[in-house]
Amino acid sequence: MMKEIEFQDKTCQKLYDNYILRIKRQTSTLSKEDRFDIMMEFNSHIYEALQEGENKTKIEKLVEILDKLGNPEDVLKSMVADKKLIQATRTFNPIHVFKAISLNIASGISFVIFGIMYLLLLAFGFLIVQKIFHPDEVGLFFKKGEFFLLGILPDRSHHHYSEVLGNWFIPVMLISAILLYVLLTLLLRLKRKLK
Amino acid sequence: MLYTCIVNEEFILKWKSQVKKGTLAFIILSVLEGHEYYGYELIEAVKKFTAIEIAEGTLYPLMNRLKKEGLVSSKWVEQESGIPRKYYVLSNAGKKSLHEMTVYWNDLGVAINKISKSK
Repeated sequence: MMKEIEFQDKTCQKLYDNYILRIKRQTSTLSKEDRFDIMMEFNSHIYEALQEGENKTKIEKLVEILDKLGNPEDVLKSMVADKKLIQATRTFNPIHVFKAISLNIASGISFVIFGIMYLLLLAFGFLIVQKIFHPDEVGLFFKKGEFFLLGILPDRSHHHYSEVLGNWFIPVMLISAILLYVLLTLLLRLKRKLK
Repeated sequence: MLYTCIVNEEFILKWKSQVKKGTLAFIILSVLEGHEYYGYELIEAVKKFTAIEIAEGTLYPLMNRLKKEGLVSSKWVEQESGIPRKYYVLSNAGKKSLHEMTVYWNDLGVAINKISKSK
């Protein structure tokens, strides 16, 4: 546990607690250790700064310190996005990957592409579930020998389409999803190295 | 006439902020050379030499980046107050990088001086 600073003045305590809470919120997606490290460092900064400036009241000091530090939301943005990316590429955990992509999406077109790949991945998963409940309407459909649709057929009265995967649909989708996922993670890793 | 004055002013302001942004890592590494500072102390040391008008909080993400790049290392040191300090020092790679950066910076200064004098 981090030792928090205690204030006698209630307003001071509120200001401080609020600032710490904002750091906690901003770093909520990070690993425990990273989060703890950032909190400790900001806490240490506030504590050390409070020891200076003898002619001012505590509240004056605290307001000035927090003002100079800046908004946790702005100051920590790039750090949080960066750390999330490292975590995502290390673990292969889908939640981390998703968060890393959404946090970094503002920083370039490549992350938009990653986002699309990720959506595709989710779509494959969704189709597998749908196939289980509606085996006749979901599949890879061909019309007169040409690719027509991968997904759910909108109108089942049409018989011009033939489903080509049959029982192989779920295994094929599953393997595609896994391949896509591995590719996505490796590309993210590469992207981070190039950065 | 007035219009061009305002535009130039803005241009210079932007340029200054770009220079500051671009040199902050260099400044921090220079200040750290031969010293071991914790975050707050480091900011105070930087402020002694230069008037950086950045949110002080942005120093921490920057230190994090320098650490990731292997230019500095850090360690937590317990204090009597119960609130530990995180001390930063230059790593060997950091010292070498700082040396290269200093050479480049000096060359740039010489070049700019030459241009100014030749006019």
